[in-house]
Amino acid sequence: MIGSTHNLKHMFSRFRISTLLFLCCALVSCSSVSTINIEGSYPSPLVSQLPLTLGVIYDNAFSDYSFTEVDEYSGEDQYIINSGASQVELFSTILPAVFNQVIYLSSADEASEYPNLDIIFTPAIEEFQIGLPQKTRLDVYEIWVKYNMRLTAPNGSSIADWVMTAYGKAPQSTFGSVDAGVNEAAIEAFRDLAATFSLGLTSIPEVNNWLQVNNVL
Amino acid sequence: MNNNDFSVKTALQICQVFFLMILTACTTTEIDQFRQSDTEISADESIVILGRRQGTSHETELDFVECVGDVVASGNDGINVIPEETFLDEMFPFFEPRTAPMRTDHLEQLMAQDIAAEKLEDFGVEYIVWLDGLTQRSGETGSISCAVGPGGGGCFGFGTWTDDSNFEAEIWDMDTLTSAGAISADANGQSYLPAIFLPIPLLARVESNVCSGMGEQLKSFLNGSV
Repeated sequence: MIGSTHNLKHMFSRFRISTLLFLCCALVSCSSVSTINIEGSYPSPLVSQLPLTLGVIYDNAFSDYSFTEVDEYSGEDQYIINSGASQVELFSTILPAVFNQVIYLSSADEASEYPNLDIIFTPAIEEFQIGLPQKTRLDVYEIWVKYNMRLTAPNGSSIADWVMTAYGKAPQSTFGSVDAGVNEAAIEAFRDLAATFSLGLTSIPEVNNWLQVNNVL
Repeated sequence: MNNNDFSVKTALQICQVFFLMILTACTTTEIDQFRQSDTEISADESIVILGRRQGTSHETELDFVECVGDVVASGNDGINVIPEETFLDEMFPFFEPRTAPMRTDHLEQLMAQDIAAEKLEDFGVEYIVWLDGLTQRSGETGSISCAVGPGGGGCFGFGTWTDDSNFEAEIWDMDTLTSAGAISADANGQSYLPAIFLPIPLLARVESNVCSGMGEQLKSFLNGSV
């Protein structure tokens, strides 16, 4: 009888600890931040190649770019969206299709080592916005990104600061989870960027002027 | 009247109600066609069906485009359909939401670019079909409550809603670079969700009916049989 009472007490104690642990886990999971790593593949654009050698610099701010969506009520981080690696992959796909030769540089100082360089390209993200259905009351996940496509000559003089925006959306009905919806909207936005970049580069007045002066067009 | 008679009578009444619901949870579909020129397609030619995604309020779902493509490609009179994703990737960046031709004169401009025209010729695309539309849900009424207790659980209640699908297909002839015609499909249907212990969905297959109706009509249109 004493043994069974002891067992009951032991079981009750274990039950209390388990319940406490479960509640702690539930509280932690309620307040935890969800990290979304944007992953996707991008097609090579079908454009006429420019007979130029491009040096490209992905600085840390670009290649490690991460956006944090903050909950407007609690003020706490809600989602961390890591898109730097995916955007580097995107540019690594489109630039070799647009330019005859692409050289990856770690910094502008390295440009002097490549005398055949024609242009140095440094992409930068100026703004990143996310639209979630639970906040916008729309049936789509949305991503909006503002870029500065900085083009300079190897001597450092500016050719163009091409500010462009990219937009992508993904229907909530097709992508049930936030992770999948945000990922798809980001991929659509990056495709939008790639389309605008590859088709519109030579139409930018400053770029067009430089290409004509250098007898490329 | 004993208890058994009462149970049988109640069960029959419930069956009658469900039967009536099944009958009424059906869809009304209307297909309209507008032809501007003659069409015909041979076995070695292909079409591509693309969803319009330029609107801010909606975008044509990938699944619907795929469904219509499957219907068009099926049967003895089936037509070669290039998968949308393959076409968009191969033709990138000419058919993205921001860059896709919206009218046939834009298509002429696109075909003036050798690099795009050659790729389209490689595909053997005879017709481009643009699908645009959506399914909207309205008139949601009723409520269902579910509870779980030590002795088990269950749901009780009743819900109903209306689905309304409106889609339009515009067919572009790649030989003449003009519009060959258009097909529109509208459908609506009432769905019911009674719950007696378990929810029993009696769903109106609105979008799938539009898909099959649109697909069959499109196949007939392109084969020149209607």
